[in-house]
Amino acid sequence: MWAGGVTLLLLLLWGGAKIRWEKEMAREQRKAAYGFSGPTAVAIREKVGQGLALAALGGFRGLAANALMLQAHGAWEEQQWVRVRSALELATMLQPRVAVFWDTASWHLAWNAAVAAERYSGQISETKRKMEARRWVEAGRDLLERGTKAVPEKALLFQRLGDLYWQRLGDYQEAARCYREALTKGDAPPYLERFVGYALEKAGDKRGALDYFKSLRGEMGNPPNPERRPEVVEREIARLEKEVVGGKKAKTK
Amino acid sequence: MSAAVQTHLLRKEFGLGWFRGRVLALEGLEMEVKKGEVFGLLGPNGSGKSTAMKMILGLLGPTSGSAEVCGFRAGTIAARRQIGFLPENPYFPVFLSGAELVRYYGRLSGLGGAALEKRVKELLELVRLGGEAGKRPLRTYSKGMLQRAGLAGALVGDPEILMLDEPTAGVDPAGSREIRDLILELKTRGKTVIFSSHLLEQVEDVADRVIILHRGKKLREGRLEDLLTRKNEWEVKVQGLPEGDRQELLVWLKKKGGHVVREGAPRERLEDYFLRSLPEETRR
Amino acid sequence: MMSCLRRISAVAGNTFLEAVRQKVFAVLLVFALVLVGGANYFTEFSFQEQFKFLKDLGYAAISLTGLLVGLLGAAQLIPGEIERRTILTALCRPLRRWEFVVGKYLGLATYLTLMVAIMALAVWGVLGWKEAQFLRAEGLEPAAAAAIRAEAMDPRLLQAVLLVGVKLAVVAALAVFFSTIATSTTFVMAMTLLVYLIGHLQSVAREQWLETGEAARWTVKIFLAAVALLVPDFNLYNLIDEIVAGNVVLWRTTLEVVGYSAVYVGVLLAAAACMFEGRDI
Repeated sequence: MWAGGVTLLLLLLWGGAKIRWEKEMAREQRKAAYGFSGPTAVAIREKVGQGLALAALGGFRGLAANALMLQAHGAWEEQQWVRVRSALELATMLQPRVAVFWDTASWHLAWNAAVAAERYSGQISETKRKMEARRWVEAGRDLLERGTKAVPEKALLFQRLGDLYWQRLGDYQEAARCYREALTKGDAPPYLERFVGYALEKAGDKRGALDYFKSLRGEMGNPPNPERRPEVVEREIARLEKEVVGGKKAKTK
Repeated sequence: MSAAVQTHLLRKEFGLGWFRGRVLALEGLEMEVKKGEVFGLLGPNGSGKSTAMKMILGLLGPTSGSAEVCGFRAGTIAARRQIGFLPENPYFPVFLSGAELVRYYGRLSGLGGAALEKRVKELLELVRLGGEAGKRPLRTYSKGMLQRAGLAGALVGDPEILMLDEPTAGVDPAGSREIRDLILELKTRGKTVIFSSHLLEQVEDVADRVIILHRGKKLREGRLEDLLTRKNEWEVKVQGLPEGDRQELLVWLKKKGGHVVREGAPRERLEDYFLRSLPEETRR
Repeated sequence: MMSCLRRISAVAGNTFLEAVRQKVFAVLLVFALVLVGGANYFTEFSFQEQFKFLKDLGYAAISLTGLLVGLLGAAQLIPGEIERRTILTALCRPLRRWEFVVGKYLGLATYLTLMVAIMALAVWGVLGWKEAQFLRAEGLEPAAAAAIRAEAMDPRLLQAVLLVGVKLAVVAALAVFFSTIATSTTFVMAMTLLVYLIGHLQSVAREQWLETGEAARWTVKIFLAAVALLVPDFNLYNLIDEIVAGNVVLWRTTLEVVGYSAVYVGVLLAAAACMFEGRDI
């Protein structure tokens, strides 16, 4: 009888000690995952069903999220865009820290779904079709913005966001901004450096592009790393200088 | 301290679960086993024999009262060091061989190394499982061999006392004889043996003192000699007396005031006849 | 000291051998087949996604198999011996009860470690095979090849295996603890499974309990407190998800969780030994 009492006491004492430790570890893990590490009381209060499901899946969230991505893939093959979107949103909710999920999701929404809407949607009016397509692109953009908050330490999603602004929204200033952001992460592909300049130029800011390329070349130093293609940068500097100075000359004429 | 085991008012109640009351397994047992004797625990099923044994071993805790083993309180490590136990119908890990079993029990008792190996060999020789027999897996053993292996395992810690619960249950007569011989052998080595059995004839052969339990209470206790001897009778076995003289003897006895209770050719015990009939080797 | 270790290792060794004799290796074979099958199933996805699918499948399979084996094994550990009466000959030795409990657990833990190690090697093997496949397919463009290699031979995968292992160790210790307070193996397995599930909600309960003001009813507070104090936080092991996602996880973080698990196992075994001490056999 008293053995039970002693045991319970032991467990409660350890319970008191471990709570502090668990809280500390959970806090550290959450910090390392930029706040996206798992269910919290707040998350559950706000969206009980989702939160509990998240918690209950425990160690098998990865499998569930993978299954949802497979579902999205299947729905894509059948051109069922609404199902694609809901599966993707669930998958990214379950595992917000998997960068490649946000990447694939934005591709399905802003590229595949949007193009399908523009070409094959049931609408007769072209304007309406374009509007629908635009909604898909914006959905993709919003999703990707959320993604950059969930995985802010990698370049991938910022780069993809930049691509989205460039290719799907024609907003080259924003594209440049995104590419710049991506470059601060340390794992961006080397060619992205030059894309900032190209985006600036496409946005109409040739002066800005020129300044950028000049400072980029300066930053490469002597001798420059050949992977960074300094000759391409120098070529761009030369071309832009001709255009900018020539333009000025044209203006002052 | 001449007592190997002593119990004082040892009592055990078992609870039957929630709200189902309690059952009294053993009531106020007073028992003493002297060092070096062979002691029999007798009684029908449910009399409390196993309960008493388990309490002496420390497997059960008493509800009240106490038990001592060689002066140590029953259940303590010191007490358990003094007893070797062979339970009724023991299951052993069947993938072990006889020698591995004894070695395992030796390591459970804290022994190891070369000393343990020597001990294993000695004990297997003692119980006649040495050599090849000891290397075979336990699942190939007969019941008698299993009991002997268990006995070796019980002895590995060199305990003072050996406790055996139904040691010959399910064993054929030849095997039983072996085990009984072993018990007597252990007695000559100065060990104390406590055992329980239903097979009363076998108890008679080896025990010095017995205790009879019934429904948790002690009915009788004492030396077999004292308990079983019919003091006012006298038995004589005669060979070579011709038939005519036998009648004369009977008449003379009656004249002298004796009442002849029984006369005639004595019967051998079936067990002895059976064992005598088997060829020499099979008796092993 | 020496004899104490001898006794514990005798119990542990015997338990380990008994476990190995069960024909669980058939289970391992099924596991390997599932893995290999899964490896070739999703070829229309990018290689990052395929690697993720494979790793998730691998670790989930290890977890599930380990959970089943661990639960069944641990629930049997002490009740099984009582049923088969082999416990009588063990406990009448000059062997302390706690040594018996610890030895039994260590035997099972060693067996589980071996199983997890074998399965982890299988996962690693399949990843290597996939890596070779991808490298052949995608050609040898340096950036892509480097990325493929990094995904396949990620040294952080070792951390993931370690976390899977210690999580199972805690579950096994829970089962051993429950087996000292009950004799029915079904009860033990059911209770352990229940605690395992609740353990994934423990962090929520803990936060709720620590934050809730006087507004909540005291019955709710007591329930939350009980969960927070008595149940392990299994969400701490979700680091595995981060590792599979390819994100940075420091060894320090992992080792802290390992340390927590070790202490938890110790506490549970102490509790089990305590309950077992006075128990009638």
